[in-house]
Amino acid sequence: MTTHVFTPILLLFVIASAASATEDTAAFDAKVLPFLQAHCLRCHGPEKKKGDFRLDLLSRNFTDIQATQPWAEVITRVNAGEMPPKDEPRPKADEIGKVVEWLSARMKEGEASRMALRGPVAHYRLSREEYGHTVYDLLGVYFDVNIPGAFNDDPRWHGFDRIGSMLTLSPSHVDRYFQAAETVLSRAFPEQPPVARKERKEANAKQEKWLQEQGMAGPVRWLFWPGRGEHLVTTSTPGLYRIRVQLSGLPSFKGRLPHLALWHHGLKRSVVGMDVSAPEDKPTIVEIEAFLPEGGFNLMNESPGMLSEGHALSNTNFTFVNTKVTRPNKPTGYKLFNDEGQSIFPLLIVDWVECEGPILPDADKRKREGMIPVKDGDLAEARESLKRFAERAWRRPATEAEIDRYIKVVQSELKEGEKFQAAYRAAMVGILTSKNFYYLEEGSPTARRKTVNEWELASRLSYFFWSSMPDEPLFEAARSGTLSKPDVLGAQLARMFNDSKIDRFTESFPRQWLQLHKVGLFPPDPELYPDYDKWLEKSMVLESTGFFAEVFKSDLSLREFLASDWTMLNPRLAMHYNLPPLAASGLQRVTLRPEEHRGGLLTQASVLMLTSDGTRHRPVHRGVWVSEAIFGRTPPPPPPNVEPLAPTPSKAPKATIRMQLEAHDTHTTCASCHRKIDPLGFAFDNFDAMGRWRTEEWVPAGQGQNPPVNATGVLPDGRAYKGPDEFKQLLVQDLDKFAEAFVEQLATYALRRVMTIDDAAQIKAIAQASKKDDYKLRKVIENLVMSDLFQKR
Amino acid sequence: MNLCSSILGVVFAALFASVAFTQDKADFVPQPGQFPPAGTGTYIAGELVIVDPVNRRGGFRLDGDGSERYHGGPLHYFAMLPYGMIFYNGAPAELRDIPIGTHVHGYFYVPPLGEEETIPSLPKDQAQFQIKQNHAISLEDDFSFYQRRGQAWKVVSIDTKKGKITVAPTGETAKDGLGKPYTFDIDDVTRVWKGRKLVDLADVAADQAVQFNLGWAQGWRDKEYGVSDIWLDDESRKFATELQHRRHVRYQKQHWLPGWIDSVEHNDFGGGTVTLTLFGGMDPSLYAELKATQEKGFGVAAAEKTLRTWFHRGDKKIGQVIEWKETENPPPGSSGIQVRLKFTELLDGYRPGRCVRVKCHDWIFVTMPPEERVKSLEDQKRGLTLSLP
Repeated sequence: MTTHVFTPILLLFVIASAASATEDTAAFDAKVLPFLQAHCLRCHGPEKKKGDFRLDLLSRNFTDIQATQPWAEVITRVNAGEMPPKDEPRPKADEIGKVVEWLSARMKEGEASRMALRGPVAHYRLSREEYGHTVYDLLGVYFDVNIPGAFNDDPRWHGFDRIGSMLTLSPSHVDRYFQAAETVLSRAFPEQPPVARKERKEANAKQEKWLQEQGMAGPVRWLFWPGRGEHLVTTSTPGLYRIRVQLSGLPSFKGRLPHLALWHHGLKRSVVGMDVSAPEDKPTIVEIEAFLPEGGFNLMNESPGMLSEGHALSNTNFTFVNTKVTRPNKPTGYKLFNDEGQSIFPLLIVDWVECEGPILPDADKRKREGMIPVKDGDLAEARESLKRFAERAWRRPATEAEIDRYIKVVQSELKEGEKFQAAYRAAMVGILTSKNFYYLEEGSPTARRKTVNEWELASRLSYFFWSSMPDEPLFEAARSGTLSKPDVLGAQLARMFNDSKIDRFTESFPRQWLQLHKVGLFPPDPELYPDYDKWLEKSMVLESTGFFAEVFKSDLSLREFLASDWTMLNPRLAMHYNLPPLAASGLQRVTLRPEEHRGGLLTQASVLMLTSDGTRHRPVHRGVWVSEAIFGRTPPPPPPNVEPLAPTPSKAPKATIRMQLEAHDTHTTCASCHRKIDPLGFAFDNFDAMGRWRTEEWVPAGQGQNPPVNATGVLPDGRAYKGPDEFKQLLVQDLDKFAEAFVEQLATYALRRVMTIDDAAQIKAIAQASKKDDYKLRKVIENLVMSDLFQKR
Repeated sequence: MNLCSSILGVVFAALFASVAFTQDKADFVPQPGQFPPAGTGTYIAGELVIVDPVNRRGGFRLDGDGSERYHGGPLHYFAMLPYGMIFYNGAPAELRDIPIGTHVHGYFYVPPLGEEETIPSLPKDQAQFQIKQNHAISLEDDFSFYQRRGQAWKVVSIDTKKGKITVAPTGETAKDGLGKPYTFDIDDVTRVWKGRKLVDLADVAADQAVQFNLGWAQGWRDKEYGVSDIWLDDESRKFATELQHRRHVRYQKQHWLPGWIDSVEHNDFGGGTVTLTLFGGMDPSLYAELKATQEKGFGVAAAEKTLRTWFHRGDKKIGQVIEWKETENPPPGSSGIQVRLKFTELLDGYRPGRCVRVKCHDWIFVTMPPEERVKSLEDQKRGLTLSLP
């Protein structure tokens, strides 16, 4: 966001408020005009118009793209030092900074307003994640929206992938919606219902003869070292499957746990995984219940250490009984045990695998009841069924005229010779490919409403917390017209918080707010970070989303996001952070000691990695991220053609990135912004590009020792800090500001639009109302839902 | 450091340092992962009678000592230690390069711990002839043995009718071997080399400084020898050395340079760092080539103690060289070159004390002929012991 931190002038351009216009003109005259007069207007004013460009006549209506563009050009030229020309007096850095900041703020506000500009009806397309959840809650069908070819990645705005103005519709979307609808309906109402099967595969099966020959008691087990697996699971159709595995999980000689994964042959990636810890002689049974796509799966050990060259695997085939009697004994095989007989790698030792499914829970079965006519050829029943289906799918009552159109589809198909069920199915496809399904519509073409209606409110709530359609109690409250009443709304909110679907919110919101999609965007340099693996990457995201979920579940204060004495870790992350090994596998709350320098969101590996480039940390990126995610301020964009940091010359002393960035402070065009951004990033210089703690910075080139980290700094308001811990405490002092920024992020997610200056006062009020409850997360959310802002169109 | 000269120099120096048989040195047991100190080997000489060139083993008829062993005793069966060096005609060699019937000099140790069965014990009826020093650290023909120690032979006289040539040591005197004037059998098919040509006995003249290779003679029991080859001048000797040098270089480029693992640092996320030492006794140009191309990485294949590999072109892993270190005056068997390499994956054979063969990036890959490869665990097991003929 963006906007409320700047002088509030946007209204001038949006609704032409006379008062605001005056205020804006005064601000322009005070902050920009003197600069223009001193440095620009002599050549780009009434007397001269060099380059056919006059600044004095530029429109200041920043909601108009045509008017905004020349101002963007002005900022670019001034920032780059091109203007004023070299033979003219140079403006001071402070002068440039003030003008650029003011204009950037106006442009940013203009952008937000343009995006938020709404007609009588606003359309918000479902994100693909929401599409998947919606068809599941509608028909109990698992449709993997992430599978290649299903849907495109949704465009994001500052991490949010549900912003209505970003989610446009193209012909390819329509085509994919059609295919998806066909698939979903064929799975919900198949001609031949899939038969649930239960299969078991055992490592010891048919090994009696071999064991007898070897003089061993057995049993034979499957040994999976990193990268090793067996095709042990096959799913006949997408759906819910229950997989049980008896296995041992032995840590490496350094304590790293093995990671059990189900690796899909078609997708070429694992779809489910977990760390396993169980002694060799006391195997455990793990149960995985998950929606799986169709196809073959390898049960495999997905710990890092996969073979890079591959072919040595063929030399390592051997029948395994236990680590005491069975060893790879060819010197050309993959080395699994060290000279002390310990396993070098984390090992999985599997006895058997059971796969059961597809499982259709009764709750999912019930979702389909009444959606298709029982009597063949009964058009009256078809109409009733279609109406029920449409109302649920469209999340509002369907008019008779709307249903008529789909009955005509049935009739037309029958006329073409289709069977009744197929003709009816065609109408259902029509309902699922209607804009009423894939768009959330708010507003009426005939009446300009200021608030959402009951049905729209139900959808706002359900897509906010469940990323999906309302359930029957929400529909019922909407139908009865009582949902918007505070007591009913409060009760529904409490009910929604307790529904298991709330996990979708506690996972999705932090992922979007913190821009966790960027984690792993720049694959780390394997030379610098050789033990980086996909599970670590996933674990980083799990920590952040799990942290948010814990704050939500325990109803903690927003303060925890800034600084806490605990975090959520699994064994992989504990190892990455160089913390004591965890006794149990899985994500768990762990108490932190001050000397571990963790706690809060900002020192989590996910955040530290997404602001790095895979090789080195990026203090400026970190500063920008803190500015956006914590303070809700987007700094002005850098001028074009900024020279990248040159590597340290081989003969020069080794220099940290911070030392190299000092150069920016001496450059007039950079200094004004960097003075504000950089201190927010330097605070985390103790963390490398993967988020590991360090006291010196590894520098590849240059002479001498690696330089020590300097994580001290001074905030723009003059407060100084030494290191990340003190910096976090400074942020805690600004909790009120953070709360406002957080409410804005929450509202952006909930209302599916960018917040504007119009919303600023309400956002502030919501934050202030939450202060007396120590900014407890649930209270903050409740205050948002109960506010006028939430029901505002 | 001049690699070529220094490596050969230290090898020679180490061998020169070896001393005559004493009880203490005779019992020295080579330790795993360590090269024996200089001078601890036991000198034994005889004529090469059988070889197992693939497994670097063989047997020779000991020099006569007047006893009945000549008629009633067995051959002396031996195995080359993995770092054991072989020379022929003044150049590094393999066992296969030395013709059967060549008189050789060697320095031997009792078997390293755990390898007592590599050379099976003699049958009971021959047990009294057992010599426990049966693992060789070096083996050389007369040409190499004397020349590398700075000793030549001066022709005192030659009597072609009687078939006798009398020579006396000249230059440095080797501590072991025949360190005194000696008369050998000679005949008109003795190969006489001058320049790059085969010449006649008539070209042998008194006072010439020569080198020769010896073989069996009728009076072997009484320590008599026949001359198989005699090199009359420097050019002929250099020519012979060059012929063997070429044969040796081709062999090593195909089989790769032997060494062993000193230490391994494992990563539990894959790969690790391996430190290895290259064995000595190779042509210096091979080490130099390796050193010059180190930035391209080395292929490292697991090998047996016989230096046989499995399917080295496929089995090897390529490591990036982190460090190349050369040590002055390494012990016999060592080249003095230690290399640290980083691997993305490790083979089971990369263990301290285990042998490897190291490939220079620029050498062409070849597949070894089947009899040279270890093809199975059973094959590996068979290769552990010498099969007595």
